[in-house]
Amino acid sequence: MHLFFQELLNGLVVGSIYALVALGLALIYGTMGVPNFAHGHLYMLGAYVAFAGVTIAHIGYWPSMLAAIVVLALVGVLLERLVFRPLRNAPEVNTIIAAVGVLFFLQQFAQLLFGGDYRVFPTPYDKVVHFGGLVATQQQLIVIVAAAVLMIILFWFLKRTLTGATIEAVAQNRAGAALVGIDTDRVSMMVFAISAGLAAAAATLIASINLISPSMGFSVILKAFAIIVLGGMGSVPGAILGAFILAFAESFGGTYISTSYQDAIAFAVLVIILTVRPTGLFAKGT
Amino acid sequence: MLEVRGLRVRYGTSSPALDGVDLTVAPGECVTLLGANGSGKSSLFSALSGLLRFDGDVRFEGDDVGKLRPAAIVARGIAQCPEGRKLFPELSVEKNLRLGAYVGRRDRRGTDEALERVCTLFPDVRDKLRAPAGALSGGQQQMVAIGRALMARPKLLLLDEPSLGLAPRMVQAMLDAVAAINRAGTMVLLAEQNAYAALSIAHRGYVLANGKVVLEGSASTLQQNELVKKAFIGA
Repeated sequence: MHLFFQELLNGLVVGSIYALVALGLALIYGTMGVPNFAHGHLYMLGAYVAFAGVTIAHIGYWPSMLAAIVVLALVGVLLERLVFRPLRNAPEVNTIIAAVGVLFFLQQFAQLLFGGDYRVFPTPYDKVVHFGGLVATQQQLIVIVAAAVLMIILFWFLKRTLTGATIEAVAQNRAGAALVGIDTDRVSMMVFAISAGLAAAAATLIASINLISPSMGFSVILKAFAIIVLGGMGSVPGAILGAFILAFAESFGGTYISTSYQDAIAFAVLVIILTVRPTGLFAKGT
Repeated sequence: MLEVRGLRVRYGTSSPALDGVDLTVAPGECVTLLGANGSGKSSLFSALSGLLRFDGDVRFEGDDVGKLRPAAIVARGIAQCPEGRKLFPELSVEKNLRLGAYVGRRDRRGTDEALERVCTLFPDVRDKLRAPAGALSGGQQQMVAIGRALMARPKLLLLDEPSLGLAPRMVQAMLDAVAAINRAGTMVLLAEQNAYAALSIAHRGYVLANGKVVLEGSASTLQQNELVKKAFIGA
């Protein structure tokens, strides 16, 4: 039973990160219909910006995370304005090719600046904490709490503010949103900024648990897409639920079956759920 | 006053959807736009709302509004209730309505007053404020769509096929509401296939065919016109 709760805790940590990344991807897909394959590499870039903050600028962990969020939000705005907006009325394949192009550009950019090696992200929160027979590092607990806080803030913003409601409005009917005077281009930029900012926060939170490298975006984007398909393309609650289903499947599958097949077990669970609910757990919407 | 001169819209290389349309809506008027499917009514409304690029001249209260973005057009006082309603189905009715006042969002008291006016005009809406808009009946959704346009406190209301898909009893209720909105001082440009109903509340009308105005006149003149009778009223 102790092992079960330990794996539950591990699943919560990984699921929190998946949720933050998948939320951004779902927001972009839900509001603009853009399958942003570069999202994983925005996550990677966020990790490197925070890494530079901690190791080069020496501004400390939390200011580095804030800097990563701000820088990536600006990168997100630039991507929307320069890459995805001009392609809005183009065939979807053009958007996909552009996203893949951005992905490789970001990877090469990070490799040029920081090299291709794996890097250790230093954290001041590396002490081990024991509670109720469970073991976790401070950083793992920070991941869970910080991700929960960010998700609550995002939900409050979407559900309780008029600006957040404009995102939902654009997601549900872009033409209708334009007709009431919502600047849909501005909403698109805002969504890219929020999504990239969330990816940066997720990357900074997990970077000191995993290593960072210019190719770290590949595995996360694969999983984030699987999550939003499972959750229902573009659904915010679906992205969160899907993230934790995938994380728990990995965590428990790895422990009770085999760590060698951890990913295979997780994706098998996804396939089974999608066989039962082909459109995902939640219909499209935020 | 709305003045449209020589408005042309073309989609790609096909023949123009609108080909030199001229029309006016004077203060206090309710003007109807009659035409079959594909005659260009919705294209005209999209152009007037800034959703569609066009050639020609559109002036509202003397100002050129032809090249403005949709938000700026709403801010100038032109709001549209589109065909198909284009509501936000998962948002509550109240949120749909409050988003209708988005351009005037800093005037909270004005927004609350506009919401109260909409609820007075459509009492059914008041009872459904917390329900998701997508869960309402067709008639109730149409009320929300008109109400959402009214939340912007427009000087000119563009109504695109408000009776489409509604039961006859609901059509009459909708037209009564449109007449009441017009009597309260809002200019109305009403696109309808239901010519008999539209002409019963309009002061004037235009008939569109293949993107051109082929007939115009007072509502009573159009009601007596043989072409209108044959094509739209079925007499």
